[in-house]
Amino acid sequence: MPPPLPTASPASITLERVTKRFPGGVVAVDKIDLIVEPGEFFSLLGPSGCGKTTTLRMIAGFEAADEGRVVVGGRDLTHVPVHHRDMGMVFQSYALFPHRTVAENVAFGLRMRGVARPEMAARVASALAQVKLEGYEARRPAELSGGQQQRVALARAIVIRPPVLLCDEPLGALDRKLRQAMQVELKELQRALGVTLVFVTHDQEEALAMSDRIGVMNSGRLEQVGAPADIYDRPRTRFVAEFIGEINLIEGRVHDGGFIAADGRVLPVSSEKGEGAAALALRPEKLRIVSSGAGVIDGVLSDASFLGDQVLYTVTLADGRRLLVKERNPGTGALRQNGSTLGVRWEPRDAVILRNA
Amino acid sequence: MSTPSRVSPIAWLVAPAGLFFLLFFLVPFGVMALFSVLSGNPVQRPNVTLTGRHYDRMLGDSLYIESLWSTLKIGAVTTAAALLLGYPLAHWLARMRSRGGHALLLMAVIAPMLTGIVVRTFAWITILSDRGVINATLTGLGLLLAPLPLMYNELGTVIALVHIYVPFMVLTLAGVIGRIDERLEEAAMSLGASPMRAFLEVTLPLSLPGILAGSLLVFALAISAYVTPYLMGGQQVLTLPMLIYQQVAATFNLAFAGALGVVLLAVSLILIVAYNHVLGRVARREDLA
Repeated sequence: MPPPLPTASPASITLERVTKRFPGGVVAVDKIDLIVEPGEFFSLLGPSGCGKTTTLRMIAGFEAADEGRVVVGGRDLTHVPVHHRDMGMVFQSYALFPHRTVAENVAFGLRMRGVARPEMAARVASALAQVKLEGYEARRPAELSGGQQQRVALARAIVIRPPVLLCDEPLGALDRKLRQAMQVELKELQRALGVTLVFVTHDQEEALAMSDRIGVMNSGRLEQVGAPADIYDRPRTRFVAEFIGEINLIEGRVHDGGFIAADGRVLPVSSEKGEGAAALALRPEKLRIVSSGAGVIDGVLSDASFLGDQVLYTVTLADGRRLLVKERNPGTGALRQNGSTLGVRWEPRDAVILRNA
Repeated sequence: MSTPSRVSPIAWLVAPAGLFFLLFFLVPFGVMALFSVLSGNPVQRPNVTLTGRHYDRMLGDSLYIESLWSTLKIGAVTTAAALLLGYPLAHWLARMRSRGGHALLLMAVIAPMLTGIVVRTFAWITILSDRGVINATLTGLGLLLAPLPLMYNELGTVIALVHIYVPFMVLTLAGVIGRIDERLEEAAMSLGASPMRAFLEVTLPLSLPGILAGSLLVFALAISAYVTPYLMGGQQVLTLPMLIYQQVAATFNLAFAGALGVVLLAVSLILIVAYNHVLGRVARREDLA
């Protein structure tokens, strides 16, 4: 029996203490708790091997959870097989059927559901229109470019009107320009369809640009879940701070509401409770270069990299540690001179304190 | 500067194989085909003429027509059985994740090929003959009054042939199935296909080239087999290779043997082209226009 046609209304996804162990004792996913809201664009971000793809494959049903529950739209799917889960899935390799045409690829899910031919044709046409691939119906996947194959994979997944769309690094194989264009399109498509989308990526820029919320994963655990700005500006762990963007970490400890660096210097932070070893995290663009003695710390400018819109300076401190400072490109063509002594300062509210675990 | 060579230097590496093919296949086959339409041996008798009498003799004698039919039937049944037995094994082999398990299964498939065909055929005789393992056990237990006719017929011939040639099918299929992306089946399942449906819609059609290649290999080997049909058929099943051998070794009628060989080759080629055509049609057939 083919499953009934799903409704187009987006579903929530709830993971309760979901765990996956692989043979050999490797814990790929370790007691993850997560709620993805209906209609949300949610990214699972992390380095390769962090368990993000395994998590996605457990939501899709390709991997069985060893512990915990997977609930989608209020329905417990933990023991429901893949083909009864009604989810759209876009694979990293696209996984288009090479022996079928574009139209047949897109129609596949409808055929499995026993949709009548006239409706099937209409829905295939509208799905292909949505991904801007009209006129390619009769082509075979091998005759399409990578970007076009990506669109077919997307059309094939959305044509069944799934309440949930799962994407496993779908843009990973595209070149940079095309990837950025597809990011915008995918985001627009997700809004237009109102579908709940779980997006797996190792590319932090992609996750920051596209997501409503991001879950950062490391070693099978969710390190932090939050909006992109939240994750970037207020990382809660060293891993999150270092994985996303560039950051300066200064080791020290929290004492008496302030932060004392390892060399004994008291550094400006907004008031902090508690005591104990910690690191001070500062984004390079939050630091400002001032004249020597006017900042918090003095150092010697040891490198300048021109990035186009910005310039990345490396300031080497007296104890040999380095601070990265990003300044807007002044547009005068003149960069600061290597070897000059200068000061670095920041606003206390921009300093993030990361407690040692 | 020298003019660029039109032939890649690598191409010369196929020359030995080409020469071998020419000397030991095309030339003998040409001689055989030529003899089959001559009235005698041109080396011994200079005044030979063209004749169709060897072909007339074959077509006019029901013994040869029946043995051609029997040869093709044994070939077809052996191929079908090897495909049905070999496909699941090849799929298992191709999809096995454990390297150790893969190596063991591969060894299990290849190991029988290390034993000679004659030895393996005699093993089947000890199992299937009237006083063999199966019949002796069943009659000994009183389950049977008379032994089952398991050999000296086409059944026994096919059983032994399938056993001997199934590794060719498995190895050919496993190579093709192993190159099919497993994500394709996952994609089909995510779109609502049951695992069986996903296999039928995706993996099976994509493995058609392997089915074709494996079938042709087994069919070609089975219809040209001599030792196994000879021993398992016990002279009750006459296949064309046995009659050809008889003409060559006992009757010394090379021309008639040549005619039998040409007919067997021609009929096999027609069947192979037809099979190829049908499989191609199946592969192109789509449920959705």
